[in-house]
Amino acid sequence: MTGPGAVTGPGAVRARAGAVATVFRRELATVLRTPGYGVLAVGLFAILGGTLAVGGGGSTGFVPAVVDLLLVTEVVVPLVAFVVGYRALLTDAGSGELAVIRTYPVGVGGYVAGVVLARALAFLAIVVVPYALIGGIVWATAAPDTGIFATHSGVDSPLLYLRFLGLIGPFGAAYLSVATAVSAVASSRRGAVAIAVLALVAGVLGGDLAILRSLASGTSPSAIPGLLASTPNGAFRGLVFETVVGVTFAPAGGFVDVGRAVGSLLAWIAGGVAVSTATLAYGDRLDVLLEGVRARFVE
Amino acid sequence: MALFDPYGDRFGRLLVAVAVLAVLAGVATAGAYAADPSTATPDPVAYDDTVELGISSETDELMAGSARVPGVQVFYSQLQYVVGYNGVESFAATLDDGRTERQFGYPLVVYVETFDGGAPGVTDDGLFEAERSTDWVAADEAAYVVGSAARSPAGETVVPFADRANAERFAAEHGGSVLDWGAVRDRSFSVDSAATVRSMAPARWSEADERVADATAKGRSGDESVGRDTDGDGDDGDERSGGEADEIVVSEDAPTIDAAVAAAPPNGTVVVPAGTYEETVTVNESVTIAGDGARVRGDGNGSVIAVRAPNVTLSGLSIDGVGNRTRDPEAAREAAEEGETWDTNIQLGYGHGDAGVLAVDAPGLLVDDVAVETNASGVLLREGSDAVIRDLRVDGSDDWRDGFMGVTGIESRVTVTDSRFDGGRDGVYLHRADGSVIRNSTFVGNRYGTHLMYTGDALIADNAFRNAEFGGITVMTRPSGNAIVGNDVRDSGAGIQASGTRSYVGYNTLADNGLGFSTSSRGSLYERNVAVENEVGAHATTVVPSSRVVANDFVGNDRHAEAGPGALRIWADGDRGNYWEGANVGLHDPGERAYRPTAPVDAALHRETAAAAVRESPAAALLDRLYGTVPGARSGSIVDPSPASEPYAPERVDAAESDSEPIHPDWRRALGGADPRTEATAEDSTTAEDPTTASTGDTTTSIDTMNARKRDATDETASRETGSQETGSRETGSREPTEGSRRSAGAEARR
Repeated sequence: MTGPGAVTGPGAVRARAGAVATVFRRELATVLRTPGYGVLAVGLFAILGGTLAVGGGGSTGFVPAVVDLLLVTEVVVPLVAFVVGYRALLTDAGSGELAVIRTYPVGVGGYVAGVVLARALAFLAIVVVPYALIGGIVWATAAPDTGIFATHSGVDSPLLYLRFLGLIGPFGAAYLSVATAVSAVASSRRGAVAIAVLALVAGVLGGDLAILRSLASGTSPSAIPGLLASTPNGAFRGLVFETVVGVTFAPAGGFVDVGRAVGSLLAWIAGGVAVSTATLAYGDRLDVLLEGVRARFVE
Repeated sequence: MALFDPYGDRFGRLLVAVAVLAVLAGVATAGAYAADPSTATPDPVAYDDTVELGISSETDELMAGSARVPGVQVFYSQLQYVVGYNGVESFAATLDDGRTERQFGYPLVVYVETFDGGAPGVTDDGLFEAERSTDWVAADEAAYVVGSAARSPAGETVVPFADRANAERFAAEHGGSVLDWGAVRDRSFSVDSAATVRSMAPARWSEADERVADATAKGRSGDESVGRDTDGDGDDGDERSGGEADEIVVSEDAPTIDAAVAAAPPNGTVVVPAGTYEETVTVNESVTIAGDGARVRGDGNGSVIAVRAPNVTLSGLSIDGVGNRTRDPEAAREAAEEGETWDTNIQLGYGHGDAGVLAVDAPGLLVDDVAVETNASGVLLREGSDAVIRDLRVDGSDDWRDGFMGVTGIESRVTVTDSRFDGGRDGVYLHRADGSVIRNSTFVGNRYGTHLMYTGDALIADNAFRNAEFGGITVMTRPSGNAIVGNDVRDSGAGIQASGTRSYVGYNTLADNGLGFSTSSRGSLYERNVAVENEVGAHATTVVPSSRVVANDFVGNDRHAEAGPGALRIWADGDRGNYWEGANVGLHDPGERAYRPTAPVDAALHRETAAAAVRESPAAALLDRLYGTVPGARSGSIVDPSPASEPYAPERVDAAESDSEPIHPDWRRALGGADPRTEATAEDSTTAEDPTTASTGDTTTSIDTMNARKRDATDETASRETGSQETGSRETGSREPTEGSRRSAGAEARR
């Protein structure tokens, strides 16, 4: 095995990029050696196919298919993101490999970037391939019930499905980023699972529950587009309504604050990576600090 | 694995490939956002390929002449089918009702048929006519003539032109003003709807009473007899039967009935004493043939009694010995030489056979208390033989293939009441017989009990059908304005299959049939029917839903409802749904959860208790959520968003379950036709009347009743007055009878 950090070069930037590439390569190897991820993709395809078959929307067009898949997507894509990401940074830290890696010229930022990039690629492969296959099936099978009348496709179009796919990317990436942060924060695998489940539930349900709660307590409904945009699920759902499903309604829009929703998804991605990096960089000191606090209280 | 080996030689290249792929995907996705699918503009299609909505294009007046209804074709955002509206006003009416948008999405493109070079004009009857249409033009580019003399069979019509100058020319010639699309779509038009038909049903019943009364009690002083009264007995106005002098008694004054008829003075009476008379009779004078247990036996060839004069009465006769021929090749040849009309085939097929009573050009015929044994037709009416048939009993063939119709009516307005039809092909077959009424009659063991072709504005009410091989009531082709009310169909292939437009199918009881009723008629109203223990309660047929199905009761059917191909059907009117046995099983308040008779779990709820547990599963709950959205794009299913918690007509449901006598609810009071005189003669109103209810019902529905009295009133006066506030009047039109109906349901429950 070629050791990481073997890259030596004249420029510091190039060295840093080389470090990221090496970590990326190593992480990718890890992913590829995990057959479970392949099973995950197959399972996802089965869930999506089943939803479509039972819902029946896929046999008529892309927009009904998206409507059928939306709810499932909101649960399953975050789940896949957590499965792919919840141990990403934990294993190396736990086994001490991270400490070894750090003896090479690899910065924490570079290490996190390499890991996250590799995991993101894996995640996209696991998610996008089944969704793309489903899109292909819809494209091949969606047809009117009867051919005796003239038909047209309405506003239905593969482009709308492509938009949907394009939204799944950032949506999943936001959760993957959060999952990576979880893996950095957690100190054991069991802890990582616990925190991941908590974060998943909080993400999928919590944000919307918070909106409902705030509406019940008197928040103005005009705040909804902004509030909705703040959680990954809300932003994703809002964008799907705005750019995919809503197109078939009378052209009105306004399902979500689009700029804010996009910004929010990007912020979640950046935030997760930032938390990961910070935790790895300063986690030890924090531990010392926490241990000190704990000791003072216990004694 | 070699390909994906991160440490292999080709990994770098692979990485580049992935990167390129990612960039491509990114560009494609960006393109997907940049392109706007809602600006797609499909080209117009052949109008025949669209799914037709709006007023009927197959009314007699349209098919016979050069009259036309301008077409509109609409591409909706959520509907795969191109919808063709007959009449611009039909489409304009859908723009503000909200229902259409909810089901089909918004109109992406609208094309109208224009008539710039088609020699547009107005027929003598005031209908719009044109030799041809010139072009399909985007709706917002056309000019429209509104309020001209041109009308459609259903009311006002709008005439579109591609060129404003042509529109102005038409307006100068035929009146009206030229508007652009924006003004047309915001305007309300007075066009008949299914609600109009509902409100007119009681009036049609009353009119049938009048026809019977005219035919029986009074003399034939109508316009048609005045000209023919050449012999001039002077007082043909009041006395039908005339004095003793006008009476000829068969076997006393004349040897045979035929001879007696020939000898009888105009408007005289031929008295036929009891006995069997082996002869055929031809009636060329306006006479009454009054039998008293007399049997007329033909020779097995041709018709037994042939009537070729107006105002003839046949009563108290039994007829047999009818020929077996159901059509006449000779007549076919003649007609072919005369030049065919569009329905020559059918007219010849059905109009020229043998019959117990054959009437040709014999308006004012009364057939009263007559029995016919036949393997061809019982009574055959042709060429304007507007007849009243009361207490006719036709005993047809055991197998429908061996026989023919009990009553065949072609181009004749027929009134059938209190009659019975056993066996044979169809009990009553009507062809181009607009305005006919069939009521209070019993049909047993026919192919179809009542069968209408090209026949609109008819009333089929309070009949009982049993063991009809194919179906109790069937309406074929696309007539408009039929009312099918208060019938009771059981043990038949199907209960009611009525196609056409603007039909009203209400208050029928359908039990133990293969199919309860189908919703084949477009723009129609199906309400307060009871479907009990049928194999299929109701079948949604039209590809593009345009009817209202509301307040029906579905109990004990193998499947409550099925749907053919097409967009999702929403069977409810606002928050009022239908009653579905089993819909309210489970952990939710009645009516709170949508019911989908076409979904497997919902369909099983009333037969298997465990289905309720399945229905509460997260998976089913998830599916519930899925089905409701983007309805236009969903196919082949029915949803009732607010199923009723109790049957609307529990009494009728119970009665239908227990194999009772035929049930005929008091729909006339519910529909606001409570006319004291009518009530007195109605057979089904034997129950004690609640005067309060009746009078209130009358008051609430007075608007509709006024409209109902005269069809013209609907067209000219009432709707015109409210034309500017059409929305308001439409609301009244639909809500008020509903309230009346509710009351009647209460009354029904009390009974």
